[in-house]
Amino acid sequence: MIRWLSRRLALTLFVVWGAATLAFVGMHLVPGDPARMIAGGVSAVATPQVLDTIRAQYGLNEPIVVQYLIYLGHLASGDFGDSYQLNEPVIGVITGSLGATVALAVGAAVLGFALAIILALATAGRPHARAVSRVAELTAISMPNFWIGILLLAVFSFQLRWFPVLGGQGIQALVLPWITLALPITGVLSLVCRDGLERALEQPFAVTTRARGSGELRLLLRHALRHAILPVLTLSTWSLGELLGGVVVVETVFARQGIGEVLVTAVGGRDFPVVTGVVVLSALTFSLINIGVDVAYRAIDPRLRQDQAVTV
Amino acid sequence: MSESDDQSEGQSPQPADAPEPAGPAKPPEAVESSPAEPAEPAAVAEPAAVARRRRRRWRSRRTLYVVGAIVIVVVVALVTTFVVNRNSANAADSPVSGGTLTYGVDGTLVSLDPAVTATSVSGLIDRSIFDSLVVQTGADSFGPWLASSWTISPDGRSYTFKLRPGVTFTDGTPLTASAVKASLDHVVAPATKSAYASSLIAPYQSSTVVDDLTVQVTLKQAFSPLLQALSTPFLGIQSPTELAKPVDQYQPVGTGAFALKSWVKNKAITLARNDKYNSAPANASHQGPAYLRSLVFDFVSEDATRYGALTSGQAQGIADVPPVDAKTLRTLSGYTLNSQKTPGLNYLLFFNTSRGPLSDVNVRRALSASINVPQLVNNIYFGQFVPANSVLGPTTADFDATASSALASYNVDEANKLLDQAGWTGRNAAGYRTKNGQELDLVWPYWAAGNKEQRDVLAQGVQAQAKQVGINIQRPTVDTGSYVSQDLVGGGYDIVDTSFTRPTPDVLRFAFESKNTYANGGGNVVLINSPQVDALVDGAAAATDPKVAASDYATIQRQALAEAWVLPVYTPVVLSGFSNSVHGITFDPQTYPVFYGTWLGNAK
Repeated sequence: MIRWLSRRLALTLFVVWGAATLAFVGMHLVPGDPARMIAGGVSAVATPQVLDTIRAQYGLNEPIVVQYLIYLGHLASGDFGDSYQLNEPVIGVITGSLGATVALAVGAAVLGFALAIILALATAGRPHARAVSRVAELTAISMPNFWIGILLLAVFSFQLRWFPVLGGQGIQALVLPWITLALPITGVLSLVCRDGLERALEQPFAVTTRARGSGELRLLLRHALRHAILPVLTLSTWSLGELLGGVVVVETVFARQGIGEVLVTAVGGRDFPVVTGVVVLSALTFSLINIGVDVAYRAIDPRLRQDQAVTV
Repeated sequence: MSESDDQSEGQSPQPADAPEPAGPAKPPEAVESSPAEPAEPAAVAEPAAVARRRRRRWRSRRTLYVVGAIVIVVVVALVTTFVVNRNSANAADSPVSGGTLTYGVDGTLVSLDPAVTATSVSGLIDRSIFDSLVVQTGADSFGPWLASSWTISPDGRSYTFKLRPGVTFTDGTPLTASAVKASLDHVVAPATKSAYASSLIAPYQSSTVVDDLTVQVTLKQAFSPLLQALSTPFLGIQSPTELAKPVDQYQPVGTGAFALKSWVKNKAITLARNDKYNSAPANASHQGPAYLRSLVFDFVSEDATRYGALTSGQAQGIADVPPVDAKTLRTLSGYTLNSQKTPGLNYLLFFNTSRGPLSDVNVRRALSASINVPQLVNNIYFGQFVPANSVLGPTTADFDATASSALASYNVDEANKLLDQAGWTGRNAAGYRTKNGQELDLVWPYWAAGNKEQRDVLAQGVQAQAKQVGINIQRPTVDTGSYVSQDLVGGGYDIVDTSFTRPTPDVLRFAFESKNTYANGGGNVVLINSPQVDALVDGAAAATDPKVAASDYATIQRQALAEAWVLPVYTPVVLSGFSNSVHGITFDPQTYPVFYGTWLGNAK
């Protein structure tokens, strides 16, 4: 177990290095003069002297390899540098808006997951309910986040005025963004979960359990769900990627503070340190959650635990 | 609005009068009782007479009650009408102090230091935090603000400002000559990395503290647009205490009517009223503190969300009303759409005079004559934008309306004739003109990230009309980086399009002076390189006689159209929307809303 974990952590470091390098290459492949972007973009009227000052200050005059090595060195020591645009350490910029994004993403993930399980349990093995649910799920999957968000806003914020989009506090401001992000996740997870449940219900063990006289609900919750949940967990890590992408859109539509807004502003302004900071952080989160899910597999499926015991 | 209020209140006494027909009902009652009276002497019927008398007394008392009630109702109605009327008159006329105004703005900002930033959002917010030395009161007139008076040396190179006494910054630092010097020096210091402000006062040399409240600004050469530059929020006067701090501890502190209270990054900025404010500009509606207790700028970059926030009452005002919603908002009751024509350069197509077919003035004039600008603009914007036929917006100082006679306006025959004269006589299979086997191709890069106001649709119309006379306009899509490096700096284009808001004719120097190329931080994208033009724009900027400047600017405006450096398309307007509960909104010459005199009344 320890060896498995340390190998996974080493792999995580590799993934983070890869992401950081890709971000570096990506930001340098984008055409255009970063100094001019730092100075304020196309509409800014920056004199050549100002551009030279900027280049000198941020080491943009150095050869690209030197820039890369300096960048890796800083990263290794945990220093993400200062934002070009905000004159603030990147760590501060990210942690300043991390809370809002975590509240949004975690809430949406929990909501999406819970809705999916409930929907799957309620419709598994019932042809009519299943058909209705499938249509709803496929609709949710095929609607873009942006469109769901605008629709929810138009109805629940602008018409009914239940959830303000400006100046909303706490849960009230989170409900609509949560639903927007959760719907597509619910759609996919509940499809998969119901398939798993129905397959499990056809297994011989289901007959055995029924023969023992256990009720349908008990059969679903205690026996079938355990089988059905494994593919759902695997897909949950996929939904994390969906969430990261969705957060950018949702934060724009709902005028929310968060990492997505920080990233959009930073990419637009070629704020290299902030972009790499967000990329490295995302890679790290992604890897750690994957490890967490693998640990959860072991807890749910005893077979994995036994296999591991043999190899360790 | 207040008028309709008065009318509805004026009608209220009528329903109150309505019970009065109960009054005329009184005489029949009296008639009824009088025949009963002769029966009173009958001794036998004493108990009946007592009862009758009692009844009569009751009746007359009832009449009294009715009359009394009517009188009371009428009086109450009259008094309330009067009071309410007076109140509603108050609501319309005299400002109410207090309240929070939420204003939804498009996009976000990264710095509130006006010397650093170049975005219009920061200019808008800084306007409420920072006062300027002078205020622009008209197209080319200026009044006192932080400077109570000023003198200009005869050579135009030295400006001496007398400062208003008793003004303090919101951090308690007094406003002195050295504070003004620190502010201006901060703008031009290379370490500031100014994106815009320093370009406004390019000829700035130094400031000298003459005495505590007198500062002398010295320029490298005479520069008459200085006052206009100083009136913008980008050259607002900042607290020297803040400027002395390290960059990462900087806080925007001015002498303005509001001060920064909180800034939630990418979400909102809240300003609180400066209760000690005593430095309102000369043209302000009142003196002393502002009416609004606080001012919230919410960053809502999504158009549909911003518009919905206004119409659902979550914001009392929004900047940049989406043009598709402008028409609806104009007719929506309870809301007002403000449309401000921007001064400065109109939305223009700039023709690159330094390369290819457009280096020939005949081809440029032919292109100009091939486009039916009024038709395109009216078809696309339905009257929201007005077609332009001049370089400058009509609200700019020294705008010359007669210059439009030099424009090669829509005339297909003329366009064809000019192209024939220029030697583009051949036609290829695709219908485009050729000269020595070369097709008449023009490159107009499409910078998608900068597209707004359906300019891409308009460009398709231009392409189609140019094709009619055999000109092939290509629109390769470019990203921001390539647009800057290959096109704007590298000059790899025949046409580019933009507008530029600045309330001074000096914008002509920005656009046409030879050294003001984009690479040098200027706007000369037509790449005109003419000593005669340079002499005119420099002469106008240095002129101490306004008449000389005006005539120089008029010459340039005419020449730009006669030689077809540009094709005017429309005068951009800034659309902002407010709930009718917002009173006293004014707009400065840069089209920024001014919140100093703003107050909140009852909605609708």
